[in-house]
Amino acid sequence: MTTLSSPPAAMPAALPTTAAPATPEAAAPRRAGLIARLARDRIALCAAVVLAVIVLAALLAPWISPYDPYFTDLGAAMQPPSAAHWFGTDNTGRDMLSRVLYGTRNTLMMGLAGVLFGGVLGAALGIVAAFYKRVDPWIMRVVDILLAFPAILIGLAVAAILGSGLTAVIVALVVSTVPDVARVARGAAVGVMGQEFMEAGRAVGLSNRALIWRYLTLNCVSTIAVFMTLRFGQVILVGSALGFLGMGAQPPEAELGMMASQGRDFLFMAPHIATVPSLAIFAIVLAANLLGDAVRDVLDPRLQQ
Amino acid sequence: MGPLIVRRVLVSMPALLGVLFLCFCLLQVVPTDPALLVAGGDAKPEVVEAIRKDMGLDRPMLVQFGDYIFRVAQGDLGRSMISNKSVAEELAETIGPTVELMVGAMVLAVPLGLVLGTLAAVKRGSWVDRAVVALSVAGVSMPVFFVGLLLIQYVGYLWDLLPFTGRTGPVWAGGLPSLILPALTLGSVLIGPIARLTRTAVLEVLGADFVRTARAKGLRESAVIIHHALRNALIPVVTLVGLQAAFLLGGAVVTETMFSWPGVGRLAVGAIVTSDYPTAQGAIMILALAFLVINLIVDVLYVVLDPRVQRA
Repeated sequence: MTTLSSPPAAMPAALPTTAAPATPEAAAPRRAGLIARLARDRIALCAAVVLAVIVLAALLAPWISPYDPYFTDLGAAMQPPSAAHWFGTDNTGRDMLSRVLYGTRNTLMMGLAGVLFGGVLGAALGIVAAFYKRVDPWIMRVVDILLAFPAILIGLAVAAILGSGLTAVIVALVVSTVPDVARVARGAAVGVMGQEFMEAGRAVGLSNRALIWRYLTLNCVSTIAVFMTLRFGQVILVGSALGFLGMGAQPPEAELGMMASQGRDFLFMAPHIATVPSLAIFAIVLAANLLGDAVRDVLDPRLQQ
Repeated sequence: MGPLIVRRVLVSMPALLGVLFLCFCLLQVVPTDPALLVAGGDAKPEVVEAIRKDMGLDRPMLVQFGDYIFRVAQGDLGRSMISNKSVAEELAETIGPTVELMVGAMVLAVPLGLVLGTLAAVKRGSWVDRAVVALSVAGVSMPVFFVGLLLIQYVGYLWDLLPFTGRTGPVWAGGLPSLILPALTLGSVLIGPIARLTRTAVLEVLGADFVRTARAKGLRESAVIIHHALRNALIPVVTLVGLQAAFLLGGAVVTETMFSWPGVGRLAVGAIVTSDYPTAQGAIMILALAFLVINLIVDVLYVVLDPRVQRA
């Protein structure tokens, strides 16, 4: 379906691929400058710092949480932010800061798993499709059909089959990431396939496996990685929306989307219960998007709209 | 124009079949055996077997799939396991509000995004430009439900300006107030990306030769921007709306759930929570079909806006 929404300009798969370096291993020096070039971009630097702090806080949650995220204290329910509870307490008196820390852990893990597994699977499909011309139409047709299912729908379907839970959301995120990455990877790989060094590799008798790994995949990696970075924020948004709909982590487990949904019932009495986790999601996604944009600008300027 | 639409409809047939097949599979892999559900939990195995035969569940999968397509084509989607109403009936009741919500969202978001983007492009580098860019970056990073929560809390509850639960009726029957907040929530997904893309597109077009010509022949600046720059900038924007249709549909599910909007998305979520599989399957199918239809409309619109496509 989407194949025929014709304009190539905005379609990831049809975009010009990364200029493939003349030799397969020539990409390395460009990457060395990445950190330095990112550091010069003030917004990217801020985003990176914010994201690093969030990730660290999530990793260290068990040690830095001021309270037990599951400890209920009905006497202290729905307290607004204070010195004792920086983010206030929720409707059962649990400390919001501790819950947000644990929730961020789950939300980040969910997004990372979705992007990584989906990315690897999608990249493999796309590269195989570009390398083996015979399976190409079949793979891409399946990809097109998968693209007909918006991510949230996939989430609903998976939750219907597996039952609600973090696993269902991760499966849904993986399934919805695969077709997009596959298109981008195939686009990049088709570009590399046309390069002379591919032919040279074949001429000196390299096996298909070596050609795919050392020549094709290595040269597509940066394009795919940039795309995955750009996708991370979206994946988090979809995942937390599924959590909000009740398809993800189940109470008392903490997950930001689900926490926002719980807070919705107390919105008028204690708005912070819904607002704090929502703000946390916003911060993660904003930082990820800004950083993703910056990485793209440095690594792959042609991916820009 | 006509043959083109027919061709595009035909091209989308494989995707349609794929959607139907995946929906069909959904019921196959669901953890509960439909025959067992009909027979009841403590039925004898022979009885379950008989019912399975009776329901045609013992036939090869492909035959069952053909049968399923046949039934869907006739509008037979089974019965809800909760309300015992026919799923087709439930969908017919809920699809209207969903379409209304999505159209409402676009009616709010597209003009707003176009205006903001054009303003930013025309006043490039000014504080307007910077504000629009910042707003659009923030917009794509906001969870839909956060926008909804803020609107409900402030506009709906504290300032008491607009209703925020349920739908009082169709727009033409006084339902407009109840539509505004949900539509604004859903539209917020689109405003940012549209504004950002319009800005880029207008900037690009403003540098083009034909715009210089238009100015040189003494056209008013407003005419140059509206007729020359914006018209050409619309093409990528339409494509974007098509590409964003997935987010719009996903957002609709969340928005409907938040605002108790009686649409297909809320039906789907409710059906999954209550394990009402026939309803869930029907609702998911309709939403996927809606996505295909939106893409089709976008393709056709694209030809209307850019006649070059037709010739290609």
